[in-house]
Amino acid sequence: MAKNEKTLEDSFEELENIISKLEDSDTNLDDSFKLYNQGVQLLKICNDSIDKIEKKIILLNENGESDEL
Amino acid sequence: MDKVYSVTQINLYIKDMFIRDYALNNIYIKGEVSNCKYHTSGHIYFTLKDEKGQMAAVMFAGQRSGLKFRLEEGQSVIVLGSISVYERDGKYQLYAREILLDGSGVLYQKFEELKRNLEGEGLFSKEYKKTIPMYPKKIGIVTARTGAAIQDIINIISRRNPYIQLILYPALVQGEGAAKSIMKGIGILDKMELDTIIVGRGGGSIEDLWAFNEEIVARAIFDCHTPIISAVGHETDTTISDFVSDLRAPTPSAAAELATNNINDLYTKIYDYNVTLNHILKRKISLYRSLLEQKKLKLEHSSPIYQIRQKRQHLMDYEEKLGNLISDIIKEKRHSLAIYIEKLNGLSPIAKLNKGYALISDGENNIVNSIDKIKVEDTIKVSMLDGDILAKVEELNGRRRV
Repeated sequence: MAKNEKTLEDSFEELENIISKLEDSDTNLDDSFKLYNQGVQLLKICNDSIDKIEKKIILLNENGESDEL
Repeated sequence: MDKVYSVTQINLYIKDMFIRDYALNNIYIKGEVSNCKYHTSGHIYFTLKDEKGQMAAVMFAGQRSGLKFRLEEGQSVIVLGSISVYERDGKYQLYAREILLDGSGVLYQKFEELKRNLEGEGLFSKEYKKTIPMYPKKIGIVTARTGAAIQDIINIISRRNPYIQLILYPALVQGEGAAKSIMKGIGILDKMELDTIIVGRGGGSIEDLWAFNEEIVARAIFDCHTPIISAVGHETDTTISDFVSDLRAPTPSAAAELATNNINDLYTKIYDYNVTLNHILKRKISLYRSLLEQKKLKLEHSSPIYQIRQKRQHLMDYEEKLGNLISDIIKEKRHSLAIYIEKLNGLSPIAKLNKGYALISDGENNIVNSIDKIKVEDTIKVSMLDGDILAKVEELNGRRRV
């Protein structure tokens, strides 16, 4: 896994946070828009982070060198 | 013959000797089962024998948890129990607490010993258990290159999420060198920055699964930095690897399920988040909109223009009310007038002229209603409905009418 990359778990947790803040009636409209924007950004990150290329299994040899199957 | 003992006394004495012997109270005895009888009371009576001898044995119903299989004639078993005397018959016998099939018996002891040691070292502690990532991208597998286990794992993972990269280290999973091969595989995969590693194999006998009970495998699993799911044999098989791994899966298929999320669930989740976000913001906006509407109304109500308009409206209302009132009054008066007129009409002298009456006036058109208002020789006008008669007064005769 590449470092410094947001994991889906982190993104989902952040989304939950944003949603609960948005649901809070004390959050003003300005902040709500900011939160919403963050949320949409996060959704995009989530979507982008799903690598949608079907993978073939990599078969290692005994010494751990890979030959693709 | 100083002292004579009864049979019972001797039997008790011998029994006491057996009881005092620590070794006989906790002993493993190997032999072949014969004359095996399951009694209705739940006790099992059998004979344990080898080439040269035999020994009566019993397992009481209360100890039956120590027997994990059906005891049958001819089985080679290892019995753990104590040897004591059955006083009634004056025979000693073996009281079984645990019976293991031989072969597995030795392995079982090794298993128990290693389990105890590693547990003592804390290798099974919860605090060392790593969390299995919910959304892995790369999963390593240490198992045999051929066989049901790897096929099941590939099928399930590629069905649930075909975008996960699987990396297989083909390991020997049974026989000579299996433990080393598994250990090596774990070490190599651990360096590949994977999210999860599945270590396991399909079902087999306890000997087949033995590599997963080896200490070097257990330590390799413990030392591995990548979270490991163990998946050895069937649901009922438990190995040391299962205890030391971060998560135990009952079978390789189950490991594949536990290691992955379903990509469709993930899409649904992202979609749901999107819907929720939009929904909340829309709700918020409409809430603010209605608040704005309220404020606007409030402001309008408090503005001077509104006040003036309001007062003007009141004024107009009053005006209208007044107008209505006055017109009602006029209407009513007019109505009364009409009634009066009607009444008056009935009283009008003109109307009476019809009935043979006439109106008499003098030369100056003054009504003459008394003889005092006229003299003889005056000219009077007698008015009838259709014309006037001018006449001359000839005589005045006063008369008193009541």
